[in-house]
Amino acid sequence: MLVLKYSKLSDACFISHIDLLRHVSRILRRADIPVKYSQGFNPHALVFFSPPLAVGVSSEAEYLAIDSDMQGCELLARYNGAVSHTLKASNVFECAKNPNLQGVIVAADYVFDTPYADIDLTKGFEIEYEKKGKTVREDVSNKIFGAFNVDGKLMLRLAAGNTSLRPDRILNELNLRLGVSLAAADVCKIAQYVQLGDRLVDVDEFLSVGERK
Amino acid sequence: MENYKDKLFKILPEVEKPARYSGGEWNTPDMSKPRKGDMCFCFPELYEIGMSNLGMQILYDVINSDKDFVAERCFAPAADFANKLKENDIPLLSLETKKPLKDFTVLGFSIGFELLYTNVLYMLDLAGIPFYASERGEEYPIMLAGGPCSVNPEPFADFFDVIVCGEGEEADLEILRIVSDGRAKGLSKAEILARVKQVEGAYVPSLHKDGEKVKKAVLQDFENAPYPTKPLVPNIETVHDRATLELYRGCASGCRFCQAGFWYRPIRERSADRCAELGKSIVESAGFGEMSLCSLSTGDYTELEKLENILIPYCEDKRVNLALPSLRISSFKSDMARQSRKSSLTFAPEAGTQRLRNVINKNVTEEEIDNMAEAFEVGYDSIKLYFMMGLPTETDEDIAGIAEMCKRLKGLYYLKRHKRGLNISVSCAVFIPKPCTPFQWEAQISFDEMLRRQSYLRGLLREIKGVSFSWHGAETSVLEAALARGDRKLCKVIERAYRLGAKFDAWTEQFKWDVWTQAFADCGLTVNEYIRERDKDEVLPWDFIDTGVSKSYLLKERELGYMGKTTKNCREGCNGCGALKMGRCTIC
Repeated sequence: MLVLKYSKLSDACFISHIDLLRHVSRILRRADIPVKYSQGFNPHALVFFSPPLAVGVSSEAEYLAIDSDMQGCELLARYNGAVSHTLKASNVFECAKNPNLQGVIVAADYVFDTPYADIDLTKGFEIEYEKKGKTVREDVSNKIFGAFNVDGKLMLRLAAGNTSLRPDRILNELNLRLGVSLAAADVCKIAQYVQLGDRLVDVDEFLSVGERK
Repeated sequence: MENYKDKLFKILPEVEKPARYSGGEWNTPDMSKPRKGDMCFCFPELYEIGMSNLGMQILYDVINSDKDFVAERCFAPAADFANKLKENDIPLLSLETKKPLKDFTVLGFSIGFELLYTNVLYMLDLAGIPFYASERGEEYPIMLAGGPCSVNPEPFADFFDVIVCGEGEEADLEILRIVSDGRAKGLSKAEILARVKQVEGAYVPSLHKDGEKVKKAVLQDFENAPYPTKPLVPNIETVHDRATLELYRGCASGCRFCQAGFWYRPIRERSADRCAELGKSIVESAGFGEMSLCSLSTGDYTELEKLENILIPYCEDKRVNLALPSLRISSFKSDMARQSRKSSLTFAPEAGTQRLRNVINKNVTEEEIDNMAEAFEVGYDSIKLYFMMGLPTETDEDIAGIAEMCKRLKGLYYLKRHKRGLNISVSCAVFIPKPCTPFQWEAQISFDEMLRRQSYLRGLLREIKGVSFSWHGAETSVLEAALARGDRKLCKVIERAYRLGAKFDAWTEQFKWDVWTQAFADCGLTVNEYIRERDKDEVLPWDFIDTGVSKSYLLKERELGYMGKTTKNCREGCNGCGALKMGRCTIC
């Protein structure tokens, strides 16, 4: 199993997760990457994604696991030859089996295009959003793991994976507290984490360790 | 020039399906090359529909393949995005470079359907461009229209500077060249248009003299014609989200109601080798997981078997699903069906009885319907049947024939499979008399009569188990008929309808019949004037277009229709329609 780390930038951030699935099967076909297929009645390519990214948010740390016998570096080169600059991959990891990133990722770092401000966002942080036509109010402070200063910009570590907090959903509250006007397009995911013991481990490290095993 | 990209990206997350408006598709040509002029292809429908249009992909490719010119695209935005544009003071922009429409050299509207006319105005409105050619000064782009509706351009002629009648592969680039050259030399719009008028197929309403003819543009060398082997790969799922291979233009069947069948004459086929080569390059450059063969009657393509022999193994190897749609019953071969996945079969008998099928020259016989048994044998258990109602000379007996056909198919299925459970879906459109067909003089049945016949058929089909029935709205059919055979007076009606709130008329939930009746009334007209029978000596609004097929041939065909006499398929011998003078018919 090979795992590509790729980005989703500029106009590509508007491609929804479901459209991305179809996209990837086309990318793999035009890149001529041999992929293994499931053996069922309707065979489908064995490719697996990290948790979906909210539409409009860009990312430098998305992961795509591909079941293929190809050499990692060859796959990386062919993939990059078949995508536009907005979806380029930066790295490839070789794993013994499917790392099930969708299931194990628990957090992600997002950089917001606004100067870092020293305010506490982890307590009493309530947001309001629409879900299935209903307005939901939710205290999400337990899903915000921390605020950081990255090169002068605000970075938040938010819950991801099975219990996730979409960064676009906190924008209203954030804008209110900081007195800014951020849109989804001003947010970029830069890292994702899995939990090993009581420690958050960057997926890059997790996959490298996996390879050593 | 203002940078609209950042402004746009701010609002996109708030609209539905933002990838419709973001651009950046795979295979987008180089937009940075120096341009002597540029054209923005405007498609007056949503991205999902427009991106499925092969014509636009072909023309886009033709222009972008030229070293001096660039083509970009723009689709009609959904209401949510249109509102955001207005709120944020952003004009309608091209997808590729986010350039305002009014800054292009030429705007080329592709008009494929009568119910898109109001959307042209909707797009112009959002782009900040006056509707009427006479109201647009030198600072505006030259407005071009083309596409299947150029059969009768009169209902929208006032909105455009030029209308390309016929096929645009050669005309579009030539016009763009003339306009760019004229602009560079500082010529006035009128001077430029006088030059554009010389291009084959170009109709310039402002310079058109009474009695003048416009000859339809016909692509002569179809075999080697440019074809997009690097098609754009849409970012969201479109209605025809696959590699499309155009096998030939024109149709040998001569169905008397069919506009495309007469308009795209003469027949020009592309060789199987060339088609296969194109198909492979498309899959390799775009990565589509599905390929479909496209033409007016794919099953009649001369080299179909040869093409399949190349494509089927290729597609299996690449895990590409090869779809073979739009088959006529008479061209169905079970060995062909065996190769692809058994989903459902689609056939278009168009009429329920042999008598009426003879009238419309749909040469599908009862025996051929019996051949469907072969399809059941190889495992199909679902069929879609397409019919029309309101055809000339139609009686209730013909409508009952549709139900009879369903029963017969169920019987055949039972004989072959020894079980029940055939799913039949019957879809019934209303006959719309269209220009450039033998039925162009026919009346459309009245509104009430449409409803009566629909409910009669619904009643009959309800009694047959496993049959589902869908039909076209009577109101939209009436409007389509009026606009299809309309004259110049309808420009005002279209404008009025748009002002009153009509747009996206092809979408049932957005169609506003009351707005249209109001618009007709406000202009002192009624829909009924346009759906009535035309006298055969009457001058028809589209008579000035020379399509190759003579009016006397169409009249003769109409008479044969009344007598229930069929005309043979062009492949069995030339019927002398006249299209040969437009170019070589490759099956003659």
